[in-house]
Amino acid sequence: MTVKRMRVLQQLLKFVGLDGRLHLEWISSAEAQKYVRVVTEFTEKIKALGPNPLKGYTEKIEALGPRALAGSAHTDIVLQKQRPTAAKRKIKIA
Amino acid sequence: MIEEVKTWLQEGRVDIFLGYRMMAGHPLPHVFVKDKLQEVDELISADARYPLEKFAARIAAAQPDIKIGMLARDCNKRALNVLSVWNQLEPGTVETVDVNCCPSNLKDGADCSYLKAPKTGFHKKQVGIDNQYDIEDFENYDQQGRFTRWMNEFQRCIKCYGCRNICPVCFCQECSLEHPDLIKTGDLPPEVPIFHLVRAVHMAGRCTDCGLCEEACPVDIPLRLLYRKVNQVVSDIFDYRPGSNTDQSPFSVLGETLPEPEPLKAAGSGGRE
Repeated sequence: MTVKRMRVLQQLLKFVGLDGRLHLEWISSAEAQKYVRVVTEFTEKIKALGPNPLKGYTEKIEALGPRALAGSAHTDIVLQKQRPTAAKRKIKIA
Repeated sequence: MIEEVKTWLQEGRVDIFLGYRMMAGHPLPHVFVKDKLQEVDELISADARYPLEKFAARIAAAQPDIKIGMLARDCNKRALNVLSVWNQLEPGTVETVDVNCCPSNLKDGADCSYLKAPKTGFHKKQVGIDNQYDIEDFENYDQQGRFTRWMNEFQRCIKCYGCRNICPVCFCQECSLEHPDLIKTGDLPPEVPIFHLVRAVHMAGRCTDCGLCEEACPVDIPLRLLYRKVNQVVSDIFDYRPGSNTDQSPFSVLGETLPEPEPLKAAGSGGRE
């Protein structure tokens, strides 16, 4: 059951842009060497991927509350391109 | 259609019939009964869709002996299959009158197109996800793009639970989305992306791609795309299409078809495909 769910979840996380951060492995208590190898490899992989991108997001959202959606810098740039500000419009009329 | 329903009710083939009726200018779900047969004249199968099979399952749970009839599009019929797979509805409790169906990736040759999503605005295309995207369109974005775009979509969530409430195959008595130990309650926006991903995972092997969740969503999160991806994964790994038949779901029993876990190395930063 676990392996079924994990397979789906791994693909799902990849789809939302959190690739390769989830791993499943069966290791018996008698397989100390395998345990060491898997943990080391996964640690290296995670380090190479860098910090969890979710970390910044969660904090940002918590700080801004429900208005968080308007808080991204990217959003502001696009909006400015689209609509001239009120001041600019006035100048045009004058 | 109206004559058929009348005959069914008169002959006692069904005790109640679930359909739509125009009320106050809106097509709303309505229960037609034998005692008010003249109401059946107002039975319509309009654009509006409601999870009639969900109502049927609730009614059947309360009154197990009742015979239920209902209008059914393809999505309704798939959901009926899923509900009987998950033991929410005895097979054969519900008789259906088939009506024209909506487009869906799970069905070939569907012809009806009135449910096409409205055009996506410029801003949403720039920083979010076009609701009309196919899985392949979206997978063209790189990892960073996929992540930011989904987060932009998820952040708008107002946690109305509309997607869950409308979902015909959401039937759990106790929902993980409301469990304080699993997902923080009372805060807005909800814990992103956990809230949406938990729902997505629970849709594995269940989602019939009816699209009601996305229609119900007040902030236009492209939920259908997310659950379509889940369906694609389930179909790729387990060769299972929810609702297409009444076979057991790969997630309901300890099946024989165990997939191999993803190997560590092949699943590198680029992912494995």
